Amino acid sequence: MHLTPRGKISAMPSNSAQAKERDSVAAAEVSLYRNVLRIKDEHSLVDLGISFYDAETTIQWAYNADHYFHAASTMKLAVLLGVFRQVDRGDLPLDAPVHVRNRFTSIVNQEPFMLDLGRDADPDVYGHLGKTLTVRELAYWMITKSSNLATNLLVDVIGIDTIQRALDELGIDGVRVLRGVEDQRAFEAHLNNEVTANGLLKMLRLIADGKAYSQNACDEMLEIMLEQQYRSGIPAGLPKAARVAHKTGNISTVHHDAGIVYLEGRKPYVLVILTQFAADQGRSTAVADVSRDIFTTLAESINE
Amino acid sequence: MSSTETSQALKVVDAFDLDDELRTILKPGEMVRDSLGRRHRLPRYFYEITSHEAALATRLTPHFAMNELILNDLKEAPRLQQYPRYVPCAVRILAFYLEQFRAACGASVHIAVNGGYRSPSHKLAFDATPHLWGTAADIYRIGTSILKTKELIEKFNEIAEDLSDDIHVLPYGHTSGKNADDHLHLDLGYMMHIPREISEDRMEQPQESRPRFAFEERRARDRRAPASED
Repeated sequence: MHLTPRGKISAMPSNSAQAKERDSVAAAEVSLYRNVLRIKDEHSLVDLGISFYDAETTIQWAYNADHYFHAASTMKLAVLLGVFRQVDRGDLPLDAPVHVRNRFTSIVNQEPFMLDLGRDADPDVYGHLGKTLTVRELAYWMITKSSNLATNLLVDVIGIDTIQRALDELGIDGVRVLRGVEDQRAFEAHLNNEVTANGLLKMLRLIADGKAYSQNACDEMLEIMLEQQYRSGIPAGLPKAARVAHKTGNISTVHHDAGIVYLEGRKPYVLVILTQFAADQGRSTAVADVSRDIFTTLAESINE
Repeated sequence: MSSTETSQALKVVDAFDLDDELRTILKPGEMVRDSLGRRHRLPRYFYEITSHEAALATRLTPHFAMNELILNDLKEAPRLQQYPRYVPCAVRILAFYLEQFRAACGASVHIAVNGGYRSPSHKLAFDATPHLWGTAADIYRIGTSILKTKELIEKFNEIAEDLSDDIHVLPYGHTSGKNADDHLHLDLGYMMHIPREISEDRMEQPQESRPRFAFEERRARDRRAPASED
């Protein structure tokens, strides 16, 4: 674990001021570490991964951030990146129509499978079965309501290879995308999409900085992510005025959230919280608790 | 360009007279193979649909408009995602049978996107299927029933087959091209329709000096290309 006020120490005017800042950062580090362990214990988490970067103070902090977790729906951020790679290259118009069809192919045996329509409630997409939605609409529903159908349709349009190429081109380690979602045979064969907190953090920082292909592509991606409708993760630990461009991820044993937090009058911070718990335990408020703790620690360290 | 107006104001075009890009996409008169290796000649005469409004307004039968049979997504060649669009003239015969099928079902019949005419350049056109002749329809919904179960697909397959021996359906199953599990596939085979206004003399009398088949152009290009040095 490390807490590093990168670039700021060298800008401090005096040794005493520098020392004061060091003490403040060290205290924040100790406080964060203790709180994270407490939250992990309180919620009986099997695993917890956190990565954080504050563009305002350049503070970066991480806990177990290179550990791979089942990606769940956070893999949809990689799909979004792949889509905008193609859009930015002029290979895929955002208004291109895509046939909405619930039929996909398993990566294990190439057998077809259908999504369980009852599993994710996105009538906005299912209601168009047999008709078309545009690439933009599918990207919107994939992120804002975590539509599995929209995700698999977009994966079919651009291809898994394109998604991996996008990650490679941008130097994003720690995000492995093998397939779309609800490929049960692949799941049984342990062929899953995986992420680390650092991997997702890098992706989000590139988007926040306008460096994922183009400023225009990043603006489009952020616009979609800001419309996220599931807000029980990172936003639940923040003041109501905070705007969060984020993507959640949930399956029976994980609950994640990865986002960019915009607060009035300061540069954003990027936060990724990955949690894993026992199957019989169910989801808790661990992600929101970590989000709240980081916000509070950040606010206190700035006030000091 | 040789063209003529049908009684319903649909312009018929000889695809040999279309521009190079369209001829390459539509491949008029070219031989293609189906999944069993059997050879079939692609259609040459097409209706030209000038706009989306025209597609909506063109009623092929009381309950089927042209737009329902040319719905495609980004798997279709980009040029054919724009108007004017082209659809083989046999589509009118398909619409006639679809109307009979609708009456037999007693409910509205909904054709899926990519479920009507697909050009030979469509990404789903791995092998020749009657979709490339405009004589096939993939139906995803009948009335309020979404066709995704064996029972529903078999029930409506039976209704379609009872209508005419000309109608072929795919059985329920999970192998693309051989059977279907999320729609009803109905087709009339590799049927070509030559509107009565058309004179086929031009098959023997090219109007221009340029090659008339896309494959002829490719061969001509190959002949012009310098021999590679090994």
